[in-house]
Amino acid sequence: MKKYLILLMAVCAVFGFSACGDSSSSNSGGSSSSSSAASSSSSSQKENTDSEKKTFTVGFDAEYPPYGYMDDNGEYTGFDLELAEAVCELEGWELVKTPINWDGKDMQLNSGAIDCIWNGFTMNGREDDYTFSIPYVDNSQVMVVAEDSGINSLSDLSGKTVGVQAASAALTLLQSDEEGGQKALADTFASLQEFPDYNSSFVELQAGSIDAVAMDIGVANYQLKTRGEGFKILDEVLNSEQYAIGFKKGNTELCDIVNKDIEILTDNGKVAELAEKYDISDLLCLEAK
Amino acid sequence: MKILEMNHINKKFGDLEVIKDISLSVSEGEILSIIGPSGSGKSTILRCATMLESINGGEIIYMGQKAAYTDNNKNVIYAKGKEAKYINSKFGLVFQNFNLFPHYSVIKNITDAPIHVQKRNKKEVFEQAKALLEKVGLTDKADYYPFQLSGGQQQRVSIARALCMNPKILFFDEPTSALDPELTIEILKVIRALAKEHMTMVIVTHEMNFAKEVSNRIIFMEKGVIVEEMTPDEMFSSNNERTKTFLGRYHNMA
Amino acid sequence: MSFSTILFQLGSGMLKSMGIFLWTIVLSLPLGLFVSFGRMSKNNTLRNIVKVYISIMRGTPLMLQLMIVYYSPFLLFGMNIKSFRFPAIIIGFAINYAAYFAEIFRSGIESMPVGQYEAARILGYGKKQTFIKIILPQVIKRILPSVTNEVITLVKDTSLAFSLAYMEMFSIAKQIVAKESTFMPFIVAAIFYYIFNFVVATFMEQIENKLSYYR
Repeated sequence: MKKYLILLMAVCAVFGFSACGDSSSSNSGGSSSSSSAASSSSSSQKENTDSEKKTFTVGFDAEYPPYGYMDDNGEYTGFDLELAEAVCELEGWELVKTPINWDGKDMQLNSGAIDCIWNGFTMNGREDDYTFSIPYVDNSQVMVVAEDSGINSLSDLSGKTVGVQAASAALTLLQSDEEGGQKALADTFASLQEFPDYNSSFVELQAGSIDAVAMDIGVANYQLKTRGEGFKILDEVLNSEQYAIGFKKGNTELCDIVNKDIEILTDNGKVAELAEKYDISDLLCLEAK
Repeated sequence: MKILEMNHINKKFGDLEVIKDISLSVSEGEILSIIGPSGSGKSTILRCATMLESINGGEIIYMGQKAAYTDNNKNVIYAKGKEAKYINSKFGLVFQNFNLFPHYSVIKNITDAPIHVQKRNKKEVFEQAKALLEKVGLTDKADYYPFQLSGGQQQRVSIARALCMNPKILFFDEPTSALDPELTIEILKVIRALAKEHMTMVIVTHEMNFAKEVSNRIIFMEKGVIVEEMTPDEMFSSNNERTKTFLGRYHNMA
Repeated sequence: MSFSTILFQLGSGMLKSMGIFLWTIVLSLPLGLFVSFGRMSKNNTLRNIVKVYISIMRGTPLMLQLMIVYYSPFLLFGMNIKSFRFPAIIIGFAINYAAYFAEIFRSGIESMPVGQYEAARILGYGKKQTFIKIILPQVIKRILPSVTNEVITLVKDTSLAFSLAYMEMFSIAKQIVAKESTFMPFIVAAIFYYIFNFVVATFMEQIENKLSYYR
């Protein structure tokens, strides 16, 4: 018994520490700095003489390609994360990529667990809740339906079951009765079904248990590309909106630094290059001066 | 010399008085049998003597040392710490259901307490244990586990276990009542052998013939009181009505 | 993403699932034992507090408990919870499983015949000695099947850590599913969980066999 116990504890220690070491990021790089860019950005010039790098923690939904997802090597990547990496290079920060649950994003941001939400984050309608960077992608919310469903316009969705990701911008839009909101449309649906992720909603769409899924156009393009035949995007869009980086309300210092860097990256062509790589050039709303 | 004195013992379970002002004593080398119908309190008095039940009044004295007494406010005070430990080491108890430790082998059942409680020399304890196993006729069962033994064998192990603590007095609580009649004989043999060595013993039993044969003195209890104290010879010729009724009923059953 | 990469990714996620599993076992078993003492305590207040604790732990979803443990330092004290994710998961799992283990220990301890205590007392064993040498070994044998049940459930429950976005096997599987738009990683993850549990069940069976030398 005693032998087993010692063995168990030894194994446990190994797993525990390895698990602990990279629990919050995929590329912490062994740095032990825990002070965040958010809290010390004002004095970052002075403290840059320190050998320790400032960290910049980005919260993202790792199930949201092409903006943030796990690549072939198991690293987190995507348009947004590469852009964030470029910003960190400019500032000499160390990027910490923290996958979050989309439901818990506000808690993560407000508690300081992450410095920003950077992940195809729709700013429209959320202006009061976050400090936003300049918008960088023109997004629209669209409806994806089965190709042979006979649904060709939003009015065809009357009496149908529509899926949407929980806590997403599409859901907010379909529940909003303010100007530009689509609550009136949603009221014509038989029901509005919330899903934790896109994959399960697509499987249900394929299985015919729901008739349409509302989502961002970038995500829709990615899904149609990887899933192949059988789906189409309705020409009629629900709205147009912009993606921006969300900071904790009032954290303009950090926001300004990132804004300035994004302008630099736009001017030197880095942004366009990344957009090309991730096939979202059409959506980009930043223009080099 | 008195090994055990119990004076004016009272014991209640809730409002039920099960022992009513009982006094008894046991001298060195004496063998006392306690008989009586079930519910008479005979097992309870034994459990009080061994401190498994706490008394509500009276005093218990082992070899002149007070194990428990009643103060002026009628509170029963038990000996504590070293004193209690010392008193505890003076008696042993053999249970009706043996209560061997099932996860220990026979030899470990016998030797563990002497080694780890009494902190005695390992080698010496093992030698004594082997001698005791021989005495109870179980030399070849030292490495067996209790579940591999018959009831009679288990009870003999539990006697060896009690003896290995070198008690001054050994209590038996109906040592044969959980056993088949043919296994009972094995136990009685062992007790008889101990009697020959003048081991001080108190035996609660319903084996009347055995009580008559082995003991120096017999106490007949009923309803929490001692009805009659007698020598073995007096037992079957008792003039006490209640003793006669009990023995008569016993004979009819047997 | 090639199949071997998926295997590798899920494998690294499994190491983290095992980390949760082992830490939870190592912490919750002893904790459960002490909780069971509290549950059986003669002190009314202590016993009732422990009773409420067990009732809450068993009566609310583990996923919610994990979220409460993780977020409450921030919500109550405004603390930064940046590096609290893994500790929160371990604390959440440990206190939840301790409650279940406590009830199992209690059932085992209460099922012990009083004669064992009495025999130990007559032989002069102290309270601690009696419990550790006489009672606990027998209790462990008695409760082993129930413990095995819980332990197997725990292996599967580690997937609930996804709710705190901890990158254990289930979270990784979800992410690969999102990227690859196929359910295949879930199947692979299911097989991995099964293998994990097969090993755990075999290990528990070996302990049971070890203890079967007596009845």
